[in-house]
Amino acid sequence: MDHFPSNWGRPRNDAIDQYATYPIHSRPKDSFAEGVQRTQQPIVTGTSVLAFKFKDGIMMAADTLASYGSLARFKDVQRLHAVGNHTVVGAGGDMSDFQYIQNLLEQLIVDEISAQDHHTLSPAEIHEYLSQVMYARRSKIDPLWNSLLVGGFKDGEKYQPSNPRRPLPLTVYLRFLAYVDLLGTTYSASTLATGYGAHIAQPLLRKAVESREEILTEEQALKIMEACMKVLFYRDARSLNKYQVATITKDGVKISDSKTLDTSWSFAENIRGYGAQTQ
Amino acid sequence: MPGSMVAMTQPVQQSFNPYTENGGTILAIAGSDFSVIAGDTRQSEGYSIQTRYAPKVFRLTDKAVLAVNGFAADGNMFVKKVKQRLEWYRHAHAKDMPIRAIARLIQTMLYARRFFPYYVYNILGGIEEDGTGAVYSFDPVGSYERETCRAAGAAQSLVQPFLDNQIYFKNQTPAAGTQFPQHLPLTSVLPLVIDSFTSATERHIEVGDGLEIYVVVASGSTSLQGLQNLRGVQEVTGTTDGERVFVIRRELKKD
Amino acid sequence: MSIMSHNGGSVIAMVGKDCVAIASDLRLGNEAMGISSNFQRIFPVSDRIYLGLPGLATDVATLREKFRFRVNMYTIKEEREIKPETFAHLVSSTLYEHRFGPYFIEPVMAGISKTPTGGVKPFIAATDLIGCLNFAKDFVVAGTASDKLYGVAEGLWEPDLEPEDLFETISQTLLNAVDRDAFSGWGALVHVITKDKVITRTLKGRMD
Repeated sequence: MDHFPSNWGRPRNDAIDQYATYPIHSRPKDSFAEGVQRTQQPIVTGTSVLAFKFKDGIMMAADTLASYGSLARFKDVQRLHAVGNHTVVGAGGDMSDFQYIQNLLEQLIVDEISAQDHHTLSPAEIHEYLSQVMYARRSKIDPLWNSLLVGGFKDGEKYQPSNPRRPLPLTVYLRFLAYVDLLGTTYSASTLATGYGAHIAQPLLRKAVESREEILTEEQALKIMEACMKVLFYRDARSLNKYQVATITKDGVKISDSKTLDTSWSFAENIRGYGAQTQ
Repeated sequence: MPGSMVAMTQPVQQSFNPYTENGGTILAIAGSDFSVIAGDTRQSEGYSIQTRYAPKVFRLTDKAVLAVNGFAADGNMFVKKVKQRLEWYRHAHAKDMPIRAIARLIQTMLYARRFFPYYVYNILGGIEEDGTGAVYSFDPVGSYERETCRAAGAAQSLVQPFLDNQIYFKNQTPAAGTQFPQHLPLTSVLPLVIDSFTSATERHIEVGDGLEIYVVVASGSTSLQGLQNLRGVQEVTGTTDGERVFVIRRELKKD
Repeated sequence: MSIMSHNGGSVIAMVGKDCVAIASDLRLGNEAMGISSNFQRIFPVSDRIYLGLPGLATDVATLREKFRFRVNMYTIKEEREIKPETFAHLVSSTLYEHRFGPYFIEPVMAGISKTPTGGVKPFIAATDLIGCLNFAKDFVVAGTASDKLYGVAEGLWEPDLEPEDLFETISQTLLNAVDRDAFSGWGALVHVITKDKVITRTLKGRMD
């Protein structure tokens, strides 16, 4: 029996301070104290996620790289995650936190199916759930270090905007696209990009997509997406030329196999200090 | 120096900051029997525009509208919680909470988080039980006061002195034998609100994209005339009798 | 606390129809404590050019003398009065001489120049503390109340104001802006420069 109450509930460590000679507030930490640690910084990270609306739904893309600092550590990681049949979640930031979020979402779907009430979660509901989780964790100062895009397409009820208390339900297909991050910040727009993509791809996307959301076909959307991923690969040092595209339409979720970008580097020869020049 | 050596040799943990600032500006003006609550719709972080349409002004009841500005995640959560408390009140009392009670509720809710505050500036506008227009403004930890007009947010320092001059007639002298009005009519207030936001948009990078103006009108008010046939006006009243709520939407410059 | 707001004070200049106006508050402070309510920070450069020097009070005195000296030297060498545009560049280059140890002043200037056809051309300009020029067509502001001045001026100013209307506009802009600034206020001074005269008025302001 250990007679020192300050040792109770702690893993035993006979090597250090066996007789509890330190005052409680300054006693040496045991070797497991460091084991309980909150995510104070991201470790293995994914870079940008891009998404936008087009005529028949939502298109989202992310490369397949998970970096460890500047090291390209894992080159075949899926950062697009389908949730049910109507929604895709794309993640940038810490990949272990993202895997935890994937677990949460799987559990959420299992619970929803178990209810056997023929109700399936809409993209808006999944986004709301994620916002609450992300905001709750930031409020505990123990954030999930991610930027997430939620894209989806589902039949739902459209509310008559002129009278919110007594809505007239109209069944329509609704495109949904929204963002949530480690602070619980949320927003929605017809084009979204996380991380480096918010600075580099977002202006290109806005130019290509805004006011054409109802016209763009899937083929045109794919072209725009590829162009943006290419620019990101050229300019973002933490990116990869392998990426996946998710399309969410009324037919459900479709996540492509990984595609490879066709890039050209011949221009590098002409850059002083980059190519083979000696002078 | 030993102190600076520690900083040099030991890695400093950059601690997680649970707050950010999302820009934008809100403003409210009370009339004798109406209240105007407005906000721009740009949401930004640093130099990036996150979206051109993220509402900051919310209808709580038919007689109260709340504008929130500061950290958007806190703002949305705060509005959600206020709405929830108002619904509970409806279930318990079978009526909407009066605006001065909502104001006190907001003060209590903000102060409850005194040591981990909602980083949000609130302005509550609407109609008092006696039928007068009201504006209540709050700081992030719940200090509040009833006023005639208030601006808050990124361009508060640009807008508030303009409102002092145009609403309170500060630094102006009335013509001999006349008096300045205590309250301006809606037809004068709306252009002042629009001018305030176009001015703020011109000189502040975090203000712009869109403008949402909520107008709460007391039952039987004469201010209704002219409001309904205004361009882009939409009624969002919930009940059929009592106060009425309208939204006016305008574009602001997007650069 | 910033050196720029150590003594407080603000200046604004506006363009009207064939006239310009320049105005400032009269406060001199030591951080939050008020020292004087009669501190001049606008100075005549010539009959038709005025210069406002908001910022650190010791540099107000230094720069005022420096510009007096340099304008006098210009006048003697060139045997003619300096033009507002030229003076603006003189201000700019004087400040840039001290690029890496600047005077803590953001000058504002206003003047009118005669055109070859006999007309008059209003001119205003402002620079930052290292001399980056800003030629505006409407108004320029500087000092501790600059953001407030921008807001009110953007709301009140309109093109082609006659001298008396310009006086009212600049006065209202300044007074209402400095009333929301703890470091500016305590009275104001306004100059309206027209083709043939300069109207100077001292305004009462809130003393709290």
